[in-house]
This record gives sequence, C-alpha cells and structure tokens, in this order.
Amino acid sequence: MNATSLDTFALIAPELVLVLAALVIYLGGAFAGLRSGWLVALAAIVTAMLVAQGRGTGVSAGVTLDGFSSFIRWTTLASGLLLALVMAGDLFVAAASRGPGLRRGGTCEEAGTFLILLAGLSLVGAAGDLVLLFAGLELVSIPTYILLGLKRTDARGQEASLKYFFLSLIASALFLYAVVCLYGLGGSTDLGAIAARIRAESTGRTVQALLPLAIGLGVVGAAFRLAAVPMHFYAPDVYEGTSPGNAALLSTLPKVAGIVVLARIISTVGSSASPELLWRVVAGLAAVTMTVGNVMALWQTNLRRLLACSSIAHSGYLLVGIAAAAAGPAAAPGLLSAGGLPATLFYLATYAVATIGIFGALAYLGHRWPEWTAGGGARPPRHEIADVDDLDGLSGTNPVAAFAMAVFLLSLAGIPPLPGFWGKLSLAVSALDVDAGAAIVSGSRRAWFVGLAVVLVLNAAIAAAYYLRIIAAMYFKTTKRGVQADGGLAAGVAMLACLALVGVLTLQPRALVAAASRAGEALIPLTPPATTLLAPDATLATGR
Amino acid sequence: MNFSDPSTLLVLVPLVPLAAAVLTVALGRVLGRRSWLPAVAGIGAAFVCAVMLLSGMAREVTGVGHDQPARPVEFVTTLWEWAGVDAAGMSGAAPQAFSIPVSLRLDPLTATLLVIITGVGLLVAIYSIGYMHGDPGEPRFFALVSAFVFSMSMLVAASNFLLVYVFWEAVGACSYLLIGFWFSKSAAAQAAKKAFLVNRVGDFGLAVATFLLWMTYGTLNFHDSVAADGTLVPGILGATRLADASAYAGGAVGTAICLLFLLAACGKSAQLPLHVWLPDAMEGPTPASSLIHAATMVTAGIYLVARTAPLFVACPGALTLVSIVGATTALVAALIGTVQNDLKRVLAYSTISQLGYMFASLGTGTLLGFTAAIFHLVTHAFFKALLFMGAGSVMHAMGGVIDMRRFGGLRRIMPVTAATFLAGALALAGVAPFAGFFSKDEILAALHSRGWADAHADHHEGLPADGHAAAAAVFRLVSSPTDAARISAGPRASTLDALDTPATFRLLFWMSLVTAALTAFYTFRAVFMTFTGPTRVPEEAGHHAHESPPSMTVPLAILAVLSAVSGWWLFSTHSLATFLAATPSFTAPAVAASATPAVFHWDLAIQGTLAAALGIVVAALGHLGRRSDGPQPERFLGPLATLFANRMYFDQVYAALIVKPLQVIALIAAFVDRHLVDGLVDLVARVPLGLGGVVRHLQSGIVQRYALAGVIGALLIVLAVVARAMG
Repeated sequence: MNATSLDTFALIAPELVLVLAALVIYLGGAFAGLRSGWLVALAAIVTAMLVAQGRGTGVSAGVTLDGFSSFIRWTTLASGLLLALVMAGDLFVAAASRGPGLRRGGTCEEAGTFLILLAGLSLVGAAGDLVLLFAGLELVSIPTYILLGLKRTDARGQEASLKYFFLSLIASALFLYAVVCLYGLGGSTDLGAIAARIRAESTGRTVQALLPLAIGLGVVGAAFRLAAVPMHFYAPDVYEGTSPGNAALLSTLPKVAGIVVLARIISTVGSSASPELLWRVVAGLAAVTMTVGNVMALWQTNLRRLLACSSIAHSGYLLVGIAAAAAGPAAAPGLLSAGGLPATLFYLATYAVATIGIFGALAYLGHRWPEWTAGGGARPPRHEIADVDDLDGLSGTNPVAAFAMAVFLLSLAGIPPLPGFWGKLSLAVSALDVDAGAAIVSGSRRAWFVGLAVVLVLNAAIAAAYYLRIIAAMYFKTTKRGVQADGGLAAGVAMLACLALVGVLTLQPRALVAAASRAGEALIPLTPPATTLLAPDATLATGR
Repeated sequence: MNFSDPSTLLVLVPLVPLAAAVLTVALGRVLGRRSWLPAVAGIGAAFVCAVMLLSGMAREVTGVGHDQPARPVEFVTTLWEWAGVDAAGMSGAAPQAFSIPVSLRLDPLTATLLVIITGVGLLVAIYSIGYMHGDPGEPRFFALVSAFVFSMSMLVAASNFLLVYVFWEAVGACSYLLIGFWFSKSAAAQAAKKAFLVNRVGDFGLAVATFLLWMTYGTLNFHDSVAADGTLVPGILGATRLADASAYAGGAVGTAICLLFLLAACGKSAQLPLHVWLPDAMEGPTPASSLIHAATMVTAGIYLVARTAPLFVACPGALTLVSIVGATTALVAALIGTVQNDLKRVLAYSTISQLGYMFASLGTGTLLGFTAAIFHLVTHAFFKALLFMGAGSVMHAMGGVIDMRRFGGLRRIMPVTAATFLAGALALAGVAPFAGFFSKDEILAALHSRGWADAHADHHEGLPADGHAAAAAVFRLVSSPTDAARISAGPRASTLDALDTPATFRLLFWMSLVTAALTAFYTFRAVFMTFTGPTRVPEEAGHHAHESPPSMTVPLAILAVLSAVSGWWLFSTHSLATFLAATPSFTAPAVAASATPAVFHWDLAIQGTLAAALGIVVAALGHLGRRSDGPQPERFLGPLATLFANRMYFDQVYAALIVKPLQVIALIAAFVDRHLVDGLVDLVARVPLGLGGVVRHLQSGIVQRYALAGVIGALLIVLAVVARAMG
C-alpha cells in the first residue's frame, strides 16, 4: 500500500468506520437480534463523529476534503444519528409485537444498510471526481431501495419500494448522461480539471454544444434526489407506503445528495461564460416546485402524503438559494458569490432537524402494521397514525409530543423566531442580493430574483395553511380515540433531541450560519461579501 | 469573588429562577405538596447572587467623594449575538447593520432593582408556601412566580431595547396568567383579559418607540458596541453618547419617542388613563398581587423612564408631562381609594397613587428627582408588599372574605398581622421615621425645587453653590429654545415644552401634598376598619379564624422591619442616592449637573408630617373603634362619595367611549368580513386549491406515467437550455 492510498484512507476514515461497522452487522446479523444491530450502528455513528472531529483538509485520489465536504459530513452524521434513533424506535415495536408476518431478526441488516447509505452520502460530499461522485450517489440509492423493500411486506410497501426503484434508475441514467457530457467536455474525470477546461474554452463549439446538455441532465438527476419537479411524483406514494423512519430518511438524506450535486455543478460549470443557463433553469424549477408541492399539500388528508408534498415544497425553497448561488450577486460575468449556497445549506439543516423531529414524533406515537394485528385476535385496535384526523386532541393525550410537533411544524412554516424563519429569511435575502441595487427591468436577473423571492414568500403563506391545520387538529379538536405512544423510546428521544436542536437554533442561529458560510465559501469562493445573517461577535464591556 | 468579571453572577440571577420554573413544570407531579421547593431555592439563590452583585457594585462606586460628579459605572456582558443582518441587506439611504446581541448589563440601577426583585420575590415565595397550601394549582403558581422573577430580572438587566421589549411582554404574560390563575372564576378571567387588553395599548407604544429609536439612533443597544468592520457604534445610553449633550434627539421625534415611552409606562405602571386594569388584577392570588402588582412589575414603567432619562431630559415638554400624569394619577387614585371597602382594592388604588408619586418625581428631570423616584420604588416595594401580604393573611383567615365591612377588631385574633400591617401603614402614610416618610420627603423636595427654584435658594444659605437654584438654572439652560441651534440641526423645541414652567411644578407640589394627606386617611381608615372596633368575623371563616402560619408571618415580620428602618438607613447614609448617581443614564450632563447636596428639608418634612397627621386624625375620628358595617362617615361628601365609590366612572366612560363603539365597529367589520372579505379570501384561497386539484390528478399512482412525466420534463428542460444556448 503506497503513501497516497494511505492518505486517502486517512481522509475518509469516518466513512471507513461506518462501512466496517456495517460489515460487522452483516456478519453478526446471523447470530444477534435486531436491537443489537441498531446499537452497533449508533455506536458506529458516534465513533465516526469522534474520528471526524478535528480532521484537516486535504485532496487525494478524487477525495476532496474541505469546508464544504466536512459540513456535508457533519450534516450526514448528525441526521444519521437522529434517523437511526427514529428507525430503531420503529424496530422496537417490531420486537415487542409477535404477530404473523413478522420475520424476527430479518431486519437486522437494516442497520448495516443504513450505515452504508451514510458512508455513501458523506463520500458524495467529498467527491472531487465524477466517478466517485456517481459511485457515491449509487451508494446512497441502492441502500435506499433495500431499506424501502425490507421495511414493509404489505402491498403498499412493496409498491412504494418498486416505484422508488424504477424512477430512481431513470434519474440515475439521466444523470449518467450528464456525467458523460462533462467527461467529454473536460477530458478528465476530475471536476477541477473539467472546470479549468470549460473556462479556457468557454466559446469553443464543443462547450457550446455539450454544456447545455450536461446542465439540463445534471439538474434533472439532482431533481429526483430532491423530489423536485419534474421528478417529484414518487414522493407522496412512497412516503405513504413506508414507515415513518424511512419517510424521514427519504425526506432528508437524498436531498442532501441532490444539493451537493447541484453545488458541484455550479462550481464546475458556473464559471463558464454563460452561467445564466444554469440559474434560469434552477430558478424556474424552484418556483414551480415550491408551488406544486404546496398546492398539492393543501388537498392531502393523509399525514404522510401531506408531509411528502411539503418536502417537495421545501426542495423548491432550497433551489432558490441554489439559483442565487448560480447567478451570484456580482454583475461581472464568471464571478460567483457564495451568498446562495450558505443560505441553502443552513436551510437544509434547519429543515432536516424539523422534519426528522416530526417523523420521530409520528414514529414515537406508534403504529402497528396491519399484518401484525390482522391475525392477533384479541389485540387492541390499530393505532396507525395515517390521517391528520388521527392527531385530533393530541395535546390532551400526549402534550409533550403535541408541543414538539407544533414547534416543528411552525418552524417548517417559517414562523419567527424559529430556525425555519431564519432559513427562509436568508434564502429570500440571498435572492434579493442578486444584482442588488440594479433597476428592476423586465427580464433582467434582478427582476427574476425579486420575483422568485416573492413566490417564496407567497408559498410560505400557502404552506402555513396546511401546517396550521395539523396544529389546530392537535390543539383545538377533541380526541376521538387515544393515541398509543408505543412506537418506542428511541423515537421519542430523537423527537426530544430535535426539539432541543430547534431550541438551540432559535436562540443561537449564528453558529450554524457561520458554519454554512464557511462551507459555501470553500466550494464557491466569494467575491464581495454578500449579505448573510452574520456579523462578527461584537462583544464589548465598557466601564470605568 | 473577583468583581472585575461579574458576568457569571449576572447570568445566574435570571437563570436560576428560569431553571426553577422549568423544574417545577417538569417535576410537578413528583414534587406534589413540595412544589414550592424549586421556586424558593431558585429565587433564594438568585437573591444571594443579586446581593453579591450589589455589594460588588457598591465597592466599585464608592471611593468618589460626595461633592464630585459621579462617574458612570457599568458592566456589559454579551452572551451571544441572537441575530443580525449586515448592512448590505438593508435598503435606505444610510444602511446600518442590524444586530440583536443578547447582552446583560450591571449598573447601580440594575443592581438595586435585582435585589428588590429577588428579595421581595423570595419573601413572597416563602409566604406562598402557607398561602397556596392545598390549592390544586400550586405547581402552576410556583412555576409562574419563578418565570416572573426570571422575566423581570431580564427586563432590568437587558442592555438592548428589543430585549427590553421581549421581557416587557414576558412579565406581562406572567401577570396575565397569574391574574387569571383561578380561571374558572369568571371575574378572574375577565380581569386577566382586561389587564391584557389595556396593556396592549402601552405595549404598542413601546414597540413604536423601539422602531423610532432604531430609525433615529441606528442601534438598539444601551451600551457602546463594535460593529463588524471595527467601527464604534455608540449605544443609545452608552458612554460616547452620554458625554455629548447634543446627541439626543429633541423636537418632534425626540418628544414622540418619549411620549411613546410614557404611554408604555402608563400601561405597565397603571397610570391615568390606563390605570383601570390594576384594581381588577386583585382577582389573582394575593402573593402574586403583592409581588407583581405592587412591588415589582408595575414599577417597570418607572424603570423605563429612569433608564431613558437622557432622552427625556432632551424633551422637557414630555418630561413635564410625566410629572403631570404622575401627580394627577396620584391624586385621582387617592381620592378613589378613600371610599373603597375592599381591602385589596384600597391597596391597589394606593399602589396606583404611589406609582404616580414616582412619576411626578421622575418628571422633574433632576438627579434628585430620579434618585428619589427609585428610593420611593425601593421603600414602596417593602411596605406595599407587606400590606398586600397582610391583606392576604387577613383574607386567608377570613375564609376568602376581603370586604372590610364584614369583619373588624381583628387585632385580637391576628396580632402579628395587625402589628406588621400597622408598620406598613405608617410607612405608607409617611409617618417619621418609617420608610415612606423619607422617600416621600425626597419626592416633595424634588417637586419643590422645580417650583420654587429661586425662592427656595434661601433655605440653604451657607451651602457652597446652592443645589436647587443650580439645578433649575442648568435645566433651563439645556431646555432653552435659544440653545437649540447649538445642540442639534433639527428643531429642538416642541409645543409641549410650554408646559415646563415653575407654575406647573408648584401646582403639582400642592397636589402631591394633598395626596399625602389622602394617603394617610385611606390607609388608616383601612387599618381602623379591619383591626379595631368590636371583633367580628364573617361566617365563611367558620370557627377557626386564627393567626396565619409562620411561613406567612415571618416574611411579614421581615418586611415590617424593612418598612420601619430602610428609609432612615438609606436616607441618613445617603448611600442609595450616591450609589444611583453612578448609573450611566444619570451621568448625562443635564442630569448630573442638577446634583444637589444631601440635605434634610425641614420645611417640607413638617408640611408632609402635618398632612399625614391630618389624614390619620380624620380617619381616627371617623373609624377608630367603630363597627365597620355601620353608616360610613364619608357619606357626608354626598355625590362625591358616589363618584369615588364608582371609581370616577372610568370603566363606564371607557365602556361608552371605547368598548361600545368598538363593538359596533366589530359587528360591522364582522359582517363585512364574513360576506365581503371572506368571499374575496375564499376566492384567493381557491386559486392554490384549484391548482392543487389540477396537479393532483397527475398523481395517478401509476409508475409508468410518473416515469413518462419525468422524462418529458427532463426533455423540456434540456430543450429549453439548448435552445437558449443556441439562440
């Protein structure tokens, strides 16, 4: 083993920890119960965090470790920890119930598969190379198919996992075409080399012909992971058909991957002579996606379909920041600002906390799979929380969960001073920052982005309608039947941890904003200082 | 303790009660009957910290001679930057960075108030152990009291107007919840709603004032801070601005800010015309009334005006209006108080009246006036908390009856309560040497010095530089319109400034003196009705009317001692005034220059004592030793008695002028809303809903269609991009 590969291994040590732990779980799965599998997984994630602590930057064999990739790594590990608790909470129910159709121990591999997924996502963040990027994306997708398939054995669950599988394949194929185009443009798989080549030959015919194709297909590939238009259709069906834990996973981790892909595309092709191709596409998708997601959510009565639509809408919000990052506040061509990307990353984190919290609460509030109770005879009636109605009067029966849900929903709705508000504010400001000061002329960049900010705010208002409907159900309706909180303690812990995180981000959003800023600037170097939610700590003690 | 960094203690003062509140809520069921434990321990710990801060602050301040101008002493610790928007994101001619630091400050004013808040809070918490015993809402009560102590400490320690606003609302919320503590009782729920609504008017003033401050000064910090680019941002009450007499806006904007502050203070401190909520607030548990509606929260308005003294001094008209509002409220509330038969209501009107005194004192704009107001705030906190808790003790023994006509001669049944109540009454009436005497004397002196500045000079012959005259002279210099051009480019004077004449203050002085006599009258009327005459107890008390348990009488005794000696002690050593003079707000040149030597005003003391004696004698003639349920001697006032008994018809006038018209408007608005606006809104709401209905149908659940739609979408995007690139 030569020095270079040792360096590479050192850079991705946290991911190696995850993969090794996954192998241990696969091997030990034959002998140990499923709870031990999740315990090992949780320990592995914590170990990976400890290993990742204080790791420097470096580039080796396609792995680029900088501020951006370490932000993605920490987001991955932190959401991974919370998601593992939510999913383990699910399994706790499975262990407790002994009904027909439950294959005990068979799901132990879930924990290992989940770890592989985390490792893949973390590698996507660190990929400075097309092949590694694509491999990482598949390392996210394939475990997702397995998790969806393992989780449920009823018809709806199988349908959901198959739908996700087929559509994901199409998206991957389309994205692969983009990869091929980029390789053809740059003659290299290294993203830095491709960017340099595009910059050098920005007026060349090859670039003129292939770059639009690469941009269009790349964006579509990312859109599937984000559940953005036009690849958003699967989300309601899949969320409804799977477990709360899997829905939480789907609404966070693939979105992180999608944002990374878009950010990489911006940093690679954005410096070409015609970056407006990119921002126009992304801005258009942003407007359509958030509107479609929100208007669809208005119609939903099923809670998880509603949350799926809401997650589509949130992808639209995220795309606003990406569009702003692609356009950049500076008027000079070829110059990019990190203004939009930090806002996107910050919003992504606040969204992830609130979403995992909601699904954690739903998992904690408990449900029993239909097939487990079907043949049970004297079992209590089913308590699956499916519809918004099922939450009626929750504030009376389970006040802690109701309060936590309300906080998460208000944060998603962007009510100040919750973190979702700071996130939406920074996204809107990043859009308004583009060409700030220029006149708003029809068709100009400024007009586009002012319009985009307006659409964002209008959508936030529409979204408030269905979020508040859930809160109203919990607080102002009387309960028809009690909710059995037998979803497992771990999910409850995840819910409370998310609540605490929301609290911290409410009082002190600046630490995360600063981290997101550093991450954004690492990928897309900043031109003039853009507006962020930042000002250095002005601590002063006067006297005497 | 190393006092060079008191930040830990400063953070602990609000933090420990907050933790106690959370703990009480979390462990409510576990604690059971001992739900008072976290509150008493937490507020007790906060009190210890506050005392340590006060003593440390006192050491910082001393060492300056009494004749030297006080140097400002302040300590600011910024915990974290809550949120901020850089200048780049701001629009407008001169964009400024907007940041909200969570900063706590410590200066003599804050240190004094922290000790009062936590000290009285502790005594009230201990008293409540006995008072709230057995109430099903006990944990809720102690959690709210702890939360209140947290909010109030933050209010006086915050070093930023936005934080002040946040905690201004927070104490209001605690007050609302405590007034409506027994929410199943209709009167309590109504009173809580009334307090809430009336306070909204004042809070609105504070919000608009905050906006105006930001527009005018470009910051909301009290203290000087350093901006992102390293430049100094002079805080509104920071050393930089305080040193510069021209740095405060006068004229229309300055006056508007001050008047809005006054509006806010009128709401929170129950001054005319927003005083109507406080008497009804007595529906809450008596310990809460004692802490919140007598000793601490209602003084938030005093704190606000004192804290923003430099802003007020730049607007003499607004400042004089503070005095006018204060003295008028004092008189009106005292008049209403003379014929009330509900013991707690007598005390409530007395609180309104005494707060009016403090405002009258603040409005003089002199250093003496500001320190006298805070001095009275301190002594009032002691004796009014004592009186309320004494009334609570009576109510506790009388089975919840508080109508003075239904009991009498209670001194035989409850000797400790009677003795301590008497001490509080003597202090409130301003009888020497009890606490109220000294603080009231200072207030009268402050008013007198503005009313008779020149004539008054003779009283202090032989003193080097006569204080009163100098004060008035400096004041006139600062406020004189001829000075306007030098101080600021904008117009300095406002039409209100015409109020600022010696004649105004002469009138206010006489009003205050009359109020003093009325105060003594209604206080001793209550004492005589409750504790003298034949012993009678209402049937609600049953056969076990008895003295309250030690957990209630010990706090009473402590407060009685404080009511007896604190005035003399603080006045004779002149420690409080000297200490407070080092508060940055009071070192503004216009305030500091009005400093007067510490003297005892014999002439005013005699006038005050005569007034008090007159009131007590009249009360004794009417009520001493009589049955309290007989015909009342006040009936000779005729229609006036009816007027006062009906609280001067404020509630009825508001009902006719504000509530009824609003109800009519509300009815019209409801009609328009239901039939016109709702129709439009429904129309608007149908757009996304309808759009959703269309989009929803694409959601067929058939995976082939999804794939087709996705691929078509991808093709459209690629085509659009390519077409754009080619075209």
